Amino acid sequence: MSQNREAIVNHPEAIGAVLVVGGGIAGMQAALTLAECGYRVYLVESRSAIGGHMAQLDKTFPTNDCAMCTISPKLVETGRHLNIEVLTNSDVIGVKGVAGNFTVSVRTRPRYVDTRKCTGCGECADVCPVLIPDLFNEGLSARRAAYRLYPQAFPTAYAIEKRGIAPCRDACPAHQRAQGYIALIREGRFADALRVIKEDNPFPGICGRICNHRCEDACNRGKVDDPINIHALKRFVTDVVYAQPRVPPEPAARRYSERVAIIGAGPCGLTAAQDLCKLGYPVTVFESLPVAGGMLRVGVPEYRLPSWIVDREVQDILDLGVELRLNTTVTNLDDLFREGFQAILIAVGAHEGIRLPIPGNDLEGVLINTQFLRDVRLATLSGGNPGGNPARLPEVQGKRVLVLGGGNVAIDVARTALRLGAREVHMACLEARDAMPAHPWEVEAALAEGIIIHNERTFLRILDDGRGRVAGVECQRVAHFEFDEQGRLSVEAVAGSEHVLPAEVVIFSVGQRAGLAFVPEDAGVGLTPRRTIAINPNTYATSRPGVFAAGDSVSGTSFVIEAVASGHDCAQVIHRYLRGEPLEPKPRPDLPVVKLGEAELRERMRRGEIHITHRVPMPELPVTTRRSTFAEVELGYTPEQAQAEAARCLACGICSECLSCVYQCGVGAIDHDMPEHVGELKVGAIILAPGFMSFPAEVAEEYGWGRYPNVVTSLQFERLLSASGPTSGHVRRPSDGQRPRRIAFLQCIGSRDQQHDYCSAVCCMYATKEAIMAIEHARDTSVHIFMMDMRAAGKGYEEYYRRARERYGVRYTRCRVSSVKEDPATHNLIVRYVEVETNTLREEEFDLVVLSVGMSVASDMRQLARNLGVKLDQHGFCRTLPFEPLQTNRPGIYVAGAFREPKDIPQSVTDGNGAAGRAGILLAAARGTLVRQPEYPPERDVTGEEPRVAVFVCHCGKNIGGFLDVPQVAAYAATLPYVIHAEHNLYTCSQDSIAHITEKVKELGANRVVVASCTPLTHQPLFQSSIRAAGLNPYLCEMANIRNQCSWVHSDAWETATQKAKDLVRMAVGRAVHLEPLHTVTMPVEKAALVVGGGAAGMTAALSLARQGFPVHLVERNDELGGHLRHLYYSLEILLSPDARADPPGAPHANPQEFLRSLMRDVQAHPLIRVHLQTEVLETQGVVGRFISILQTREGEQLQVHHGVTILATGGVEYRGPEYLYGQHPRVISQQEFETLLAAVEGIAETDRAHRAELPDHVLMILCVGPAEEYCSRICCNTALKNALVLKRLKPGAEVTILYRDIRACGFKEKLYTRARQAGVRFIHYDFDRKPEVMGEGDRLRVAVWEVALGQSLQFTPDLLVLSNPVVPAEGVRALSKRLKVPLDGNGFFMEAHVKLRPVEFSSDGFFMAGTASYPKSLDETIVEALAASARAATVLAQDSIQVGGSVAVVDASRCVACLTCVRTCPYHAPRIVPDLIGVGGIRGAAQIEAAACHGCGSCVVACPARAIQLAHYTDSQMQAKVDALFGNVVSGARITTWQGDTIYSGERGTIG
Amino acid sequence: MSDTSPPKRIEIARDDGRDVEFEPCITVFTCIYCGYTSADTAGALRLSYPPNIHLVRLPCTGKTDVLYILKAFEEGADGVYVVGCSLGNCHHVRGNERGKARVEHAKKLLDAIGLGGERLEMFFVSGGMGATFARYAEEMTERIRKLGPNPLRAKGTRVAVGDESKP
Repeated sequence: MSQNREAIVNHPEAIGAVLVVGGGIAGMQAALTLAECGYRVYLVESRSAIGGHMAQLDKTFPTNDCAMCTISPKLVETGRHLNIEVLTNSDVIGVKGVAGNFTVSVRTRPRYVDTRKCTGCGECADVCPVLIPDLFNEGLSARRAAYRLYPQAFPTAYAIEKRGIAPCRDACPAHQRAQGYIALIREGRFADALRVIKEDNPFPGICGRICNHRCEDACNRGKVDDPINIHALKRFVTDVVYAQPRVPPEPAARRYSERVAIIGAGPCGLTAAQDLCKLGYPVTVFESLPVAGGMLRVGVPEYRLPSWIVDREVQDILDLGVELRLNTTVTNLDDLFREGFQAILIAVGAHEGIRLPIPGNDLEGVLINTQFLRDVRLATLSGGNPGGNPARLPEVQGKRVLVLGGGNVAIDVARTALRLGAREVHMACLEARDAMPAHPWEVEAALAEGIIIHNERTFLRILDDGRGRVAGVECQRVAHFEFDEQGRLSVEAVAGSEHVLPAEVVIFSVGQRAGLAFVPEDAGVGLTPRRTIAINPNTYATSRPGVFAAGDSVSGTSFVIEAVASGHDCAQVIHRYLRGEPLEPKPRPDLPVVKLGEAELRERMRRGEIHITHRVPMPELPVTTRRSTFAEVELGYTPEQAQAEAARCLACGICSECLSCVYQCGVGAIDHDMPEHVGELKVGAIILAPGFMSFPAEVAEEYGWGRYPNVVTSLQFERLLSASGPTSGHVRRPSDGQRPRRIAFLQCIGSRDQQHDYCSAVCCMYATKEAIMAIEHARDTSVHIFMMDMRAAGKGYEEYYRRARERYGVRYTRCRVSSVKEDPATHNLIVRYVEVETNTLREEEFDLVVLSVGMSVASDMRQLARNLGVKLDQHGFCRTLPFEPLQTNRPGIYVAGAFREPKDIPQSVTDGNGAAGRAGILLAAARGTLVRQPEYPPERDVTGEEPRVAVFVCHCGKNIGGFLDVPQVAAYAATLPYVIHAEHNLYTCSQDSIAHITEKVKELGANRVVVASCTPLTHQPLFQSSIRAAGLNPYLCEMANIRNQCSWVHSDAWETATQKAKDLVRMAVGRAVHLEPLHTVTMPVEKAALVVGGGAAGMTAALSLARQGFPVHLVERNDELGGHLRHLYYSLEILLSPDARADPPGAPHANPQEFLRSLMRDVQAHPLIRVHLQTEVLETQGVVGRFISILQTREGEQLQVHHGVTILATGGVEYRGPEYLYGQHPRVISQQEFETLLAAVEGIAETDRAHRAELPDHVLMILCVGPAEEYCSRICCNTALKNALVLKRLKPGAEVTILYRDIRACGFKEKLYTRARQAGVRFIHYDFDRKPEVMGEGDRLRVAVWEVALGQSLQFTPDLLVLSNPVVPAEGVRALSKRLKVPLDGNGFFMEAHVKLRPVEFSSDGFFMAGTASYPKSLDETIVEALAASARAATVLAQDSIQVGGSVAVVDASRCVACLTCVRTCPYHAPRIVPDLIGVGGIRGAAQIEAAACHGCGSCVVACPARAIQLAHYTDSQMQAKVDALFGNVVSGARITTWQGDTIYSGERGTIG
Repeated sequence: MSDTSPPKRIEIARDDGRDVEFEPCITVFTCIYCGYTSADTAGALRLSYPPNIHLVRLPCTGKTDVLYILKAFEEGADGVYVVGCSLGNCHHVRGNERGKARVEHAKKLLDAIGLGGERLEMFFVSGGMGATFARYAEEMTERIRKLGPNPLRAKGTRVAVGDESKP
């Protein structure tokens, strides 16, 4: 029956582990079921946390349950399960092997946060300066780059999102994290901004002024308007911080003894000195000048770079502990080695100016650039110049100065000369104006100050005035010039263009080079022909070991930032050299450079994330003032200007690596160098549950999403409704924050259109839910839903839809709206539609329009499918096999959830369970081979001990400690009675603290533990396991919630919060004193199943369990197996399969009857299945794991069976009612009968109606008959479409008319609808208030129906009227439900434990359901459900024993009067009256509560009029102790008693004080 | 510190309530499902509410015992309220409805003995409704503040919930 048959047989060498792809609800459920069945599970999730789409939802239909409340226990359960390993940020990139034995490659992208260390305190997010749209809130709010997907997320660890390296950082030679400090400036955190800058650059004040800022050229913002003014922002930070008194940095700790010598105190040498000193080396810097700072101090003029900034930034380095020897010229390297230095860095810069070899170059009045600038700076040095050559100001005052050269230094020289009082300043250079090596803005500044520039000149000689002084320079015009490879210049001059530029002072400024006099030929250090030091460019190593060189002395003149960069690199090399490691740097995480494309920028502008805002101009000194002063020209930003400028940043890299989080994190969990990891997993099976992607609304441009602010998607609206959403649950429209009073929903956006020939199955219902919730939020809201059909095809959905219309007044209009227009003044939206009733075009105005976006498959799923070798359909959904709806084309790989077809939550859960069942069959032989069990030491018997309480109070970083006095709370706790120890911890839940608690409990002999921290809902199990590891019973732990319920909600009242924390701790201690150890009892499990019902569901479930190795009793009341399936001849799936035309419905593998036969064969042949025909279940006794049932045959024979679980698959029947002349007129038949007729004609069915085996010419079908007016029977529409199509195939000329209310062809069944319309089937809509009328006229039939659009009644005289009679519960189900004590819903179907999350389970443990017994469903849904039920049942049968007890209710029989109150109260049927027990007054008969059935709710305890029941762990004395403690009374004299159930503790009560 | 040594004092005597504004002490019983979760959510959302309430966890509001309520008043609570799951959404099927019935019964008892049923209330929330939880805390504190101290407490004394001991 299946191409995949070999996979069904247990794989003998299977691996007992399963890979589940996707951490949404389907994936989580699959993982949990498998783990509970005894398999190891790897749950791979591509995002940073599991939870999927469901976590984003506000409420769920049709119960309006809070989605988060229902999913968060699943998150905790999945996350904490010992045998589920959750791999977040991970993708499957390849699979090798075969079913039973796969090797899967998984790539894990770095999270940058160590999940083992992170406590989830959130302080990293608090300090993260980067703001990006929060996609969990669908872009309606912002979040930080350090983030947790949502508050309840698992893992609780935070994550850091990086997109790549921002281009500004990439362009900077020192990789300055510009984006980081810009973000911090925007936040107003200027000191933090400076810290970030200093991470990469010890000279921020300097670089803020004189850097050539290549970062700005690379800035993506430049593509929008102007690049961010990065250098001005950097300068701003130093201006602000340096205005404060300097706080000297702490000296760096010494870790190594190797001494390092650095020659040259310029930016390169000092950077290296700083880094090496911080690494822990003793560093000495040698400087020949009387000042440190190199060119920065003596080369750059004061008006560009004030000396005090250089001095300050140098001092910050020296204070780390760097030794500086000024006025010390190193004359040879050997001396340094002899002095004990083990590494030497040469960073002497390029301070020797070049004098062109032209005549007259040594005349008086000829100066050199470097000497000139140095003299200017040193002459103004206060305190003299001890030891060095006395500098004096160059004499230029009143003179005409000519500067030869066109670089930045030449401009500095010229502008300095101007400021020294030169009469005129000229410049002459080889290059044309626009080719000058100086920056254009420097040239502009020079010109603005009145400097005259002579371009394209070559200099022939310097003229003598006859007295040995300069008179001018003879020049020639340049036609062309170029430098050759050796740097030699060749100039082509214009002949005859000789002329003289007169001057009294000529200053050469044509380049500089290193002064390398101390490196003699025999020093072992090689030089290049250009007189720079030869090095290995990767390692800065010279030809002499231990000697390194960097900065201008190797590169020639360059910019300060390059010197800094090489200083950093060189320090790392020297560190590696001294540690004996290879010199080449280690590879680092390779992040891409983020280049924002046109399209993305346009998109972000359209979404309103980017507005055109030009850069904030830098205030400057007026030109008139500039000429006469060395004061700075650029004045710097004000804080407001700086923050405005910083706000323009696009945060390209997302995380900027500003390291704020690293500084903040108290547990050292953050690692920005975390690399990507590719690992291999060995698994036996793979389950794909990657979920869906919401249809991108911007694609449907006609609805204006992205352009009109008040058009939102349904998922955005969901977030607006959510109490934890961006507006805290207040629905506000985005344009003005006003409450929308008129809301429109447009349905089928991205569904049921040309590109999407499928229905997304959930939108009708979620729109209805969102409408109801919006109205519940504000009663005067009116909601209008524009839809094609209402597809409320699920349990309770039709009723929900009715409630929306009748109770909430939601309006539904059948039409497809073609476009939405906006009123630009109000941002209101105008929807035009045709009103069918009046056939008129209407316009309606709304405050908000919600687009009900459908499900599509993300494009990366195609890659996943390719990686796995799994076939997808044309829309990207996963293809599955006929009658194996969870099986992909590759054996051993299964699929669950929306990835195989759009579906809602309960179906996804069922899919997850079903896929787990399928994997369980494959891997049954390996069950339990790879699971881990917790290992604990034996429990210490504490009976009779006096309470000894240890209290641990948590700071939770600053979350608690920042808002109340934690040490005081701990000290207070120590004063409480029975407390033997109290302490406070930074993070009580961190790994080391957990181990510490265990140790402390052992060491102190504590027998109670109180943890005052966060919420027990998430953390109690953790602390319980830590005391269990110390040998204490886990029930001896109590928590005080001083975070969520104290520090966070009383954050502005330190004293009060501290006081309340003390109260909470006292209450916890008060209760803890009364806690008792509780024990569970182990009972063996009867490893057999009882399956009731022998249809498709029952047989599938039975086979599934038997193939997993569990004996099954299959009970069927009829004479034969098969049930409903006996009447099914055509399967929907086959009609829908792309191979439909190739495989006619009669083909064996596509034939439901063939499937039935093979199913029956397999069931009957399986040695573990015992089939009981003509048998019913009379009674079931016992609890989960241990049931005893009595079966009775039709003949009255009884049989007792022992089993651990029961699956009810009793099916349903087709309704047979009198509506529309059924049973009264021969031409009226049901769809089931019609299908049999069609099959009989085709020769694939035998029927007693075969004599009528002739096909009608005109068939009329009426949908929604009888009870279907009350609830949707789910399958009738599809059956009608199927039968219509079969008829059309068999008799193309036949006429088919379908009278319908809504065509509920959900999911891929939409294709049937499309195909039926294409085949010419006629569809006529009717309403229940005007139902079709059927009249019999002899042998003929006449049907009249009111056609709304035409406004008239249509008459038909069909040959055959086919009624879509709904599925109704099978007879006897009500009686069975009473016998087994399982509940039914209002329509008589079985009621599940939870409509969303436990769809195949009853609330009574051990009972499961499958198939139509719980609701009408198609064959593929039935198969999935049967697999799901069997998988859930297997979670019980896979255990050898069950644990019974713990926090359960216990009856004191001696007080019981057997009044039955508890029996009636209990929702789980746990209590019963046991005749053997002796009750009050010695009367026989008292209640007993089955511990295995008790859920510990305590309802019976309170209800019991005799107060004969106590709930363990919540005994009256424990409850009372807590209240007593609140009011200052702590019960004394308590002794630990082991809970016996019949003793109620009564201690003496004393008042503390 | 010895485990048996008597703890430091807890009571702060006050002459009368005139000079000091009356700060009620309110005991809150919640179920461990939506009731407790909504209180946690209020914290996660960093909402602010008066510190006068102290939570006691019950497995389900179906375990709300009239005795617990009365005992709390006897000990000195100025007000008591119970927070459970939304009606129809009880995690134990109908426990919250049972709790509701008991609270209504207890209100009548409080009326009968002269304490006044308005000192007691029950609320229904879902776990995400942190803001609603905070609002109830505010409303109840305000209501009890208006009603004044629990008359069962000895006149002129206040059972305070703190101590003066410093580490």
